[in-house]
Amino acid sequence: MIPFRLSGPVAFLLPLAVLVAAPDPREAKLLAVLSSEAGVQEKARACQELASIASPASVPALAALLSHEQLGDYARSGLESIADPSAGAALRKALGSLQGRQLAGAVNSLGVRREVAAVPDLQKLALDPSRGAAAEALASLGMIGNADAAKTLQKVLADGPANLREAAGHAALEAAARLSKAGNAAAARGLLEAIGRALPNTHLAAIAKAQAARR
Amino acid sequence: MKLSRRCFLKTAAVAVGMPTFIPASALGRDGTVAPSNRIVLGGIGIGPRGREDLKAFLSQPDVQFVAIADVQEARREIVRVMANRQYNNQDCVKTPEMFDVLGRKDIDALLIATGDRWHAVATILAAKAGKDVYCEKPCSMTVRESQELADAVNRYGRVFQAGTQRRNVDNFKFAAGLARSGKLGRIHTVHAGILTLQESHKWLPGEPEPAKEVVDWDRWLGPAPWRPFNKDYVNGRWRNYYDFHGGAALPEWGAHTVDLCQWAASADDTTPVEFEADGQTIYGRYASGVKLVMRLSGFKGEGNWVVPGTCPVRFEGDEGWVEAADTGKIAVSSPKLLEGGAPKEMAGTDPSKHVRDFLDCVKSRKKPAANADVTRRGHIVSHAAAIGWRLGRKVRFDPVTETFINDPEANRQCSRARRSPWHA
Repeated sequence: MIPFRLSGPVAFLLPLAVLVAAPDPREAKLLAVLSSEAGVQEKARACQELASIASPASVPALAALLSHEQLGDYARSGLESIADPSAGAALRKALGSLQGRQLAGAVNSLGVRREVAAVPDLQKLALDPSRGAAAEALASLGMIGNADAAKTLQKVLADGPANLREAAGHAALEAAARLSKAGNAAAARGLLEAIGRALPNTHLAAIAKAQAARR
Repeated sequence: MKLSRRCFLKTAAVAVGMPTFIPASALGRDGTVAPSNRIVLGGIGIGPRGREDLKAFLSQPDVQFVAIADVQEARREIVRVMANRQYNNQDCVKTPEMFDVLGRKDIDALLIATGDRWHAVATILAAKAGKDVYCEKPCSMTVRESQELADAVNRYGRVFQAGTQRRNVDNFKFAAGLARSGKLGRIHTVHAGILTLQESHKWLPGEPEPAKEVVDWDRWLGPAPWRPFNKDYVNGRWRNYYDFHGGAALPEWGAHTVDLCQWAASADDTTPVEFEADGQTIYGRYASGVKLVMRLSGFKGEGNWVVPGTCPVRFEGDEGWVEAADTGKIAVSSPKLLEGGAPKEMAGTDPSKHVRDFLDCVKSRKKPAANADVTRRGHIVSHAAAIGWRLGRKVRFDPVTETFINDPEANRQCSRARRSPWHA
């Protein structure tokens, strides 16, 4: 079961689902590089090549690099492109231990993957500024853009910290577009109206108001 | 999601006091435009090519350039001096921090001329900040970035012009017009000149990083993957590295020439449905049957072209052909095609008319020639063709979903993870 909706960046990934069992000799060679004493440059390139061909077999090796200062983002390239749920699960698991930029990166990747299963994790991060990835979590909730994600965006817009409301507004605008496309016009309208209430006299509110009027 | 011009102006002007522009011609002051009626412009990442754009902006009487953000001190100082010399004052602000410029409420529009790695992210940030954008090309590193850029511009109701100025250079415009008018008969083949297809995965030797105030290497990299500092990169020699130059260098000129072919083939709203490379030539085919040939041209006269000059294009119909290149010259299959006069010769690199088109659209809220929608598809064609070249086999592409058909490996090359914390 692929836990994604049939649109957005994930549309690139869907055809992979039928290929997860197909071993690729190139993958074995690249994984050998990651487990070797090779340098950062060689491992970085291996991650990039895995992004094109990796199966779920590569998930543990890539996940192990997520906390690496230089290779963490390269590993995310691989994990973002593997459609199998194990890649999303690895990113979600890493949220508990990652800090700083590496945490923000994993959060971003979950948004890019439109990982619905990560919504509860992202909601926690969005409502807990002490972890330092609240704005990124809001953006990812916007990219996922389902009804659950929308609830958190509305909550932050209504009574969240003032310094997060603009980020919530941009995320809500994206979520509204996705909800509208999915046929949930009422939820989309609710988000757009929440933007107007939370950020009055801003260009974001003007955009939201204009879009609400068209729905 | 695009706002109507009237709707946007009404809501935005009421909400944030957006200035109402008055055409210079209506002021009757010998071309002098009152400061309150000028388009206030800022810049992000302006190097040598960006300065050519900036000259064109500074020469417009209804523009006031007020701030430059650049991660390199030497570059921001050059731009600050250029602007202050133009206005005979000391008012231009320089900063290493682009958010200083993005956050200024008095700035209406931005010139973004960073390296390719930053173009889409900076444009999206600008759209979110309510700025109109003139962005140098290639505007995206991947298929996905091409989509994200256009989606953001449309969602936020911004005016966007890609720096693909040949849409507003006379000989190219004339050539595309001939093709679109039917004077060449039914168009069957369009040719785009491209540079040598290549991408390097090498890293230059690491060097000590300069002081952050001189060159902020972390910000220079931005969304691109980390690698150690080397001064060559920041001195402009970043091209042909996979991490900094998307699409195996095809979009470098393809952003212009493929885009012109799309226009000439009346295909601005679609893409070819297949691509197949043969060495340094890539053949595309539209659903209409029109062929797109992306073939070598270059600074040293590479390729078999009639008109000399960089960035050549050729449009062929069953009743004639036309060819144009950066020298401003044009060649046609029959003199009859030039009845009424040949277009004025203008360098293909000259952005002046393109800049004017952008400024007029900032005022009118209309779409300029190289708007986000045509840029999206033109860039996607270049990226998709390059993926086919990289894979070394025929690939099929769906213009509606903008994905490769039954080709997971190709689809996985349509996006790259951005270095944290940057996202769209």
